[in-house]
Amino acid sequence: MKYTFAIISAALLLLSALASGQAAPDELVSRCVLGAGDNTTYLKDFRVQLPETASGAATPVYKANMYLMKNMKYRFSVCDAPESTGELVVAIYDQGKELISSYNQGSGKRYPSIDFFCNKTGLYTLWYSFRDGKQGSGVGVVCMIK
Amino acid sequence: MTGTISKLAAIIMLTVVYSCGNSSTRQGNLGFPVADSIPAGEAEKLSDEAIADIVQNIASPVEIAAMMQSMQVPFSAEYLTPTQGADRLTTNFQKAVMLGIYGADLGYLNIYEKTGTSVDLLSTIKRLADGLRVGQFLDFETLKRLSVSKSNLDSLLFLSVNSYNKIDEFLRENNRGSVSALMIAGVWIEGQYLATQVAATHPDRVLRDRIGEQKIILGDMLMLLRPYRDSSDDYSSLYSMMEEISSAYHDVRITYKLGEPETVEEDGRLVMIQHEESLVEMTDDQLEVIAGISEKVRNKLISGG
Repeated sequence: MKYTFAIISAALLLLSALASGQAAPDELVSRCVLGAGDNTTYLKDFRVQLPETASGAATPVYKANMYLMKNMKYRFSVCDAPESTGELVVAIYDQGKELISSYNQGSGKRYPSIDFFCNKTGLYTLWYSFRDGKQGSGVGVVCMIK
Repeated sequence: MTGTISKLAAIIMLTVVYSCGNSSTRQGNLGFPVADSIPAGEAEKLSDEAIADIVQNIASPVEIAAMMQSMQVPFSAEYLTPTQGADRLTTNFQKAVMLGIYGADLGYLNIYEKTGTSVDLLSTIKRLADGLRVGQFLDFETLKRLSVSKSNLDSLLFLSVNSYNKIDEFLRENNRGSVSALMIAGVWIEGQYLATQVAATHPDRVLRDRIGEQKIILGDMLMLLRPYRDSSDDYSSLYSMMEEISSAYHDVRITYKLGEPETVEEDGRLVMIQHEESLVEMTDDQLEVIAGISEKVRNKLISGG
């Protein structure tokens, strides 16, 4: 009986911690979609959670492939989870070549989104990583600009 | 301002939906997929999964419709797949294909703000999703309320597209990639049908190019279906039909014009204008043949073939 009570108490504590603690990914996605702006239509989201870069290893990257169509304007937004240590960065690659990144290494400036005016239909790869290889979690949202 | 309010409403709606609704989509502490992880026992399926990853965003249920709307093509209910008969669908194959087809129709209705008429379609989609055991990702009551009230298009679009994304993700993560592939094929074929039908009555260069560019996507679509083509007569038939469409594209030429991208900063946002260009060469005859075969395949699928 004592054990049952302890287990139930522990479960309740755990549930309440989960309920009041970190933002759930769906909430983060919603927030990120809102941040994308008025003139956009949501297309896709990617939830990213990556560890810190191990010593001597390459920066962990979450890659996602996506068809982008000519004559369409896309907005790629990134949002960090509240507890994330790292800041999420998105880069768009076309056939292995980086076209643009939301983080400018030269100036150290990080942008919350990239607007991409697509002129070439094809399969592009989105690279999501955390600035300076830090551990982090966040979401990337892709919207169509009306 | 109205858009911001709409989006804010969308957030509240979605938060409520996911707080009160099903929690099966949440895995681990936060529900984030861990990058590059392979579930135990799934290693042997890696190649199939990798293929699915390559093509996970083949068809969007809203992009084609949004393009038509921007061309000021009037809405036509004639393009839509009838919902009568959906109750007679018995196999998961039929249900999955039709879920995709109806998803594209829902995107078309929502983009054109014909939301009041989409309730019947939503009911059908919900029944099909339940039949495939993915109904938990569709909050039918909220979608219906948003459709009827016509008050918050942003929320409706977000919730409906997000639901389809979640269904697709769930299917692929639960070794049901074959069902996901059928749903994607359904979305694609209905989008192709809409585009080719509209192109016949509203000639437009951009739409025509969009149809021609499907040649690029069709290769991946076939790759997505290929692992399952021998699993049943239905899959085999679908694969053959998609191959037939692909054959019609054989002489359509896609070429590329090189150009350096232009990057600017506007209102704190980074903007890239791509100057490399894809160009489509497709004759009227080729377009007619593609449209004819696409219509035939779509009609066969919606008749249960």
